[in-house]
Amino acid sequence: MIAVRSGDLAKLGALFERYHAPLFDFLARVTGDRTAAEDLVQDIFVRILKYRATFRDGGSFETWLYRIARNARADYFRQRMALDPLDEEALERPAPGPGPARLLESDRDRARLARALMRLRDDKRELLVLARYQDLRYEQIAEILGIEVGAVKVRVHRALRELREIFLQLRDENAPWNAKTSRPTLQII
Amino acid sequence: MECQDVQTYLADHLAHALPPDTADAVRTHLERCASCGAAYEEAHDTWQRLGVIAAPRADSAAMRARFQHALDEYVQAAAATAPRRAMALPAWAQVAAAAALLMVGVAIGRGTMPAAEPDPQIVEMREELRDMRELVTLSLLQQPSAAARLKGVSYSERLEQPGTAVIAALLDTLRYDSSANVRLSVIDALKPLAEYEDVRRGALDALPQQTSPHVQIALIDFVGEVNRREAAGVLRQIAEDPMTHTEVRTRAAQVLEQVG
Repeated sequence: MIAVRSGDLAKLGALFERYHAPLFDFLARVTGDRTAAEDLVQDIFVRILKYRATFRDGGSFETWLYRIARNARADYFRQRMALDPLDEEALERPAPGPGPARLLESDRDRARLARALMRLRDDKRELLVLARYQDLRYEQIAEILGIEVGAVKVRVHRALRELREIFLQLRDENAPWNAKTSRPTLQII
Repeated sequence: MECQDVQTYLADHLAHALPPDTADAVRTHLERCASCGAAYEEAHDTWQRLGVIAAPRADSAAMRARFQHALDEYVQAAAATAPRRAMALPAWAQVAAAAALLMVGVAIGRGTMPAAEPDPQIVEMREELRDMRELVTLSLLQQPSAAARLKGVSYSERLEQPGTAVIAALLDTLRYDSSANVRLSVIDALKPLAEYEDVRRGALDALPQQTSPHVQIALIDFVGEVNRREAAGVLRQIAEDPMTHTEVRTRAAQVLEQVG
């Protein structure tokens, strides 16, 4: 990054190769929207070019990168909310795949947990995604979010508890004894 | 180890981030304490389940192509706007050459040019052109697309002396625009206009409203440079606000020291 900051823009290609996939993973999980995640990765690398002078010697590139990613995501959704309010139902809709009848119970649980994650409050989902999928230490997450390390650990624990509650709730809603089935009607002869 | 201690270690224990001795002590406690053991089991189960949720795979080839295109465009645009290098003359020679050219110019001008009034038609056309540019700038700044608003900011920079309407629109954009990119570009556009009291005051007023750390830092630098002592109050508030991002607070404190 120091080379990029000094004007060697070709070096940005190496940073793109290394970080575009984890960034995409982070954004796809947090937004639940593949297209938005792709657009945002693009936006993030343009921002790196524009604001490369703000990267400081001795600073962690990953921390700086994820801060840019968070800002880009926040701006994207602010704009989108202003132009086109989010379809919350669409966010909760599970990704297209085999129908429920063809899913095994473990697959159904996986789909429910993914839905539960999307129902979790934005900041909590972001925290869990950073902690579980991004291979970042809690110290790095604390730096990215601008909070204390202790607060990150406590919030991870709480967010997990809340996620589990939503997950179990979804499971109960879909349990066979709660499912709305049509009763056979008596035929009067 | 007490229950309270174990609670603080649970997140680390899940992520296998504890030193071996502490991990052993936590494990021992979890085996003996039913309540902590159950809490950990639930958290562990959710943590493990999260691990198997797959995210969509990145279409790296398409993303790489888009990135390369954007990078090429950026490099070309930067090359087109970069100032051309001056001939490498020593500083004393450049000063001497400039002075000589100036004297020659003055002499030729005095000798040959009559003291003519500027052509009123040309003056009128220039004013019309300036009005037109202002109109385009104002219109672009109100567009829903951030790219169009960025273009509007860039248009404003072409105006030699932006009118009060353009300055007000730029300050409005700085305060309320939803895009941090647009707000950042406004800060750059305002720099040459720092001689105006409205600009200095407007930038200072807009600072507490900012939420993006990038914009906050850029604006702190700007107001620190142009407002000096008047900025001290706002900078102090930011430096002492525990809800503000730590880097922003640090920068505010640094600039506060400079403005004294």
